[in-house]
Amino acid sequence: MREELLSVGIDIGTSTTQLVFSKLYIENMASSYSVPRIVIVDKEIIYRSEIYFTPLKTPTEIDGPRVRQIIEQEYEKAGISKSGIDTGAVIITGETARKENAKEVLEFLSGFAGDFVVATAGPDLESIIAGKGAGAHAYSKEHSTSVVNIDVGGGTSNLALFLRGEVVDTGCLDIGGRLIKINPSTHEITYLSKKVEKLIAKHNLNIHIGMVATKENLDPIVKVMIKGLKQSVGLAEIDEDYEIMITNKSIAPNQKIENISFSGGVADYIYHEREGKEYFAYGDMGVLLGEAIRQSELCTQLHLVKSVETIRATVVGAGAHTTEISGSTITYTSNPFPIKNLPILKMRIEEEENIDTLSEALQKKLDWFKLEGNLQRVAIAIEGIKNPSFVQVSDYAKGLVKGLQELISRELPLIIIVEYDMAKALGQAMYHELQFQKDVICLDSIKLDNGDYIDIGKPVAEGTVLPVVVKTLVFNE
Amino acid sequence: MNEQDLRKMVEQMVEQMVSKDTSSTSTSYESNSRSSVASMVSGECLPDITKIDLRKQFLVDDAKDKEGYLAMKAKTPARLGVGRAGARYKTISMLRVRADHAAAQDAVFSDVSEEFIKKNNFVAVKTLCTDKDEYLTRPDLGRRFSPEEIEVIKKTCGQNPKVLIIVGDGLSSSAIEANVEDMIPAIKQGLSMHSINVPPILFIKYARVGAMDDIGQITDADVICMLVGERPGLVTAESMSAYIAYKPKHGLAEAKRTVISNIHKGGTTAVEAGAHAAELIKKMLDKKASGIDLK
Repeated sequence: MREELLSVGIDIGTSTTQLVFSKLYIENMASSYSVPRIVIVDKEIIYRSEIYFTPLKTPTEIDGPRVRQIIEQEYEKAGISKSGIDTGAVIITGETARKENAKEVLEFLSGFAGDFVVATAGPDLESIIAGKGAGAHAYSKEHSTSVVNIDVGGGTSNLALFLRGEVVDTGCLDIGGRLIKINPSTHEITYLSKKVEKLIAKHNLNIHIGMVATKENLDPIVKVMIKGLKQSVGLAEIDEDYEIMITNKSIAPNQKIENISFSGGVADYIYHEREGKEYFAYGDMGVLLGEAIRQSELCTQLHLVKSVETIRATVVGAGAHTTEISGSTITYTSNPFPIKNLPILKMRIEEEENIDTLSEALQKKLDWFKLEGNLQRVAIAIEGIKNPSFVQVSDYAKGLVKGLQELISRELPLIIIVEYDMAKALGQAMYHELQFQKDVICLDSIKLDNGDYIDIGKPVAEGTVLPVVVKTLVFNE
Repeated sequence: MNEQDLRKMVEQMVEQMVSKDTSSTSTSYESNSRSSVASMVSGECLPDITKIDLRKQFLVDDAKDKEGYLAMKAKTPARLGVGRAGARYKTISMLRVRADHAAAQDAVFSDVSEEFIKKNNFVAVKTLCTDKDEYLTRPDLGRRFSPEEIEVIKKTCGQNPKVLIIVGDGLSSSAIEANVEDMIPAIKQGLSMHSINVPPILFIKYARVGAMDDIGQITDADVICMLVGERPGLVTAESMSAYIAYKPKHGLAEAKRTVISNIHKGGTTAVEAGAHAAELIKKMLDKKASGIDLK
């Protein structure tokens, strides 16, 4: 009864581009005299690509054709064809997500990599994916504790805080190894990121493009970055520098953090001695930053946990930890899958109180999804009730059908996602309410929020469940 | 010591224990019991300790990681983290076990109420058993009907119906009252997607699962879905099962029944079980098989 899904993960980061193939195993864990309960029981990485520098056409533009070539090459090397891919994700991370053509490249690649390979972007999602790939998520669950994972990459440091296997908070700082680029042979500084320039100006540091970098003359800026990382996990007082370094948000202060782990390319020099490696061998300040983190209070004040992946954490996360499985009692009266990039309209629990509140709130909120007066595709997310009665289910169905008239009349797909286990009965009730004239897709056991997107794959496990990827699509300008 | 002395002694002990321990048990119980002192005078009821969610009750003193423990407890109905008084359970744990046990016994020995049967428009029939004691001691009689009852069944269900839904009290009347009102409409709604209607629903008193075979024999139904109360335990007394079989007849092998068990608040919810059952029934009609033959 064990079924395999072949999943691909592709990470196009600030400095590196990578790919992994993994297998996800799904199985019915319920006894044969019970309703089915299909879950992902195991994950296995079966192929890791080489690590490439992300090809850029200009400093603000990704070299799309070259990225495509890299991916084609790796598919061939792994002996895997596009048609064999069941699921997966392409994630565009760090500074690369801010490139002019980030969106186009991402969309093209997700279609190119396989039928149900989803496009993802956004600093919060990136943090979660990296944290899961690094194993912080699993560690927190297994040891019943809190772990913050910091993925220190080329352009950003992504923080994800996990408590007993749940994501508590995420944050992102503009701290990374390639914010200062240095010629590996002449040691001349060739590039300073905007935020680094700002920090240099603020502190009157004598660092500028063209000068020869040394460990000593870069030390002050490294110290500012270390301070930023310490501030992010509550080991130092917040100041103005920190505000400059925050990308979009930091994790909320005053949270209990017991353990820390690191991933990203810089993490190799946090967990391991440099052993004679030239500081500027990679053409950037990464080794220097890693060594400084290694010697800082980040590794002594908090319990340091060894991550299972460092530079590959994000790509492993994208390949192995993005696909979820829907609840096992669901309704879909047609099979239009895969459905990609569906934005979510999440109802508040107060709005779910009765037929009228639900339908009115829906009618009003559907307006948000109008583009020049035209309603766009949207999936409705509700919380539902833990042990609903049949009457309650019918009321939900009535409220939804009434509130979604516009969606129904425009022949857009009717897709409802419930948090609690009630989707099969609810889907059937809605279908009944619609006199079996309009197809209904109703899934459960998936938690969503406004701003999320969902991708739904083709049914698996004899049609019992649908693979699902919950994600964000944020391209920073 | 004869039995009467022993009983007296135990009664005294219990009395002492209850009056003494009200001051030293968990905080939630303490506050409850304090108000109950006043309630004896006012004639109100004692707080119902069975209303406390065991998965959230935590009685270990000075726990190192209470939240971690509670996170584990959330995954099991087992009575973990109950602490101890010396080598024994705390009073509240002991009382709760007895209360749950009492609920289990009540579920077996009580009947599904007349009003409930009437409210749901069930047609009531009875197996060959004459009372609960006979029902418990003679499983064979719980599977067959008298000629008079057979006439009622024939009249209610007709000949060769496509699908029959029947309800049997089985070993828990509480399970029936707690679940069928949500489950049956969900099954009917699911079946209506395939334009299948069901005749009026039979309620069988003193029913064993095998009663569905006799009804299959009498009516020659294609599929029978029998909702029956499960033997209660200490976790819940309200757990129901749905036994579904294609063309059940006398001598049907148990392996040919498909079962959805553990239908209760803490298990599979009744509405989802109903929606799932409807799909199973449709599948059985299509494949003309049930149980392990249904793959």
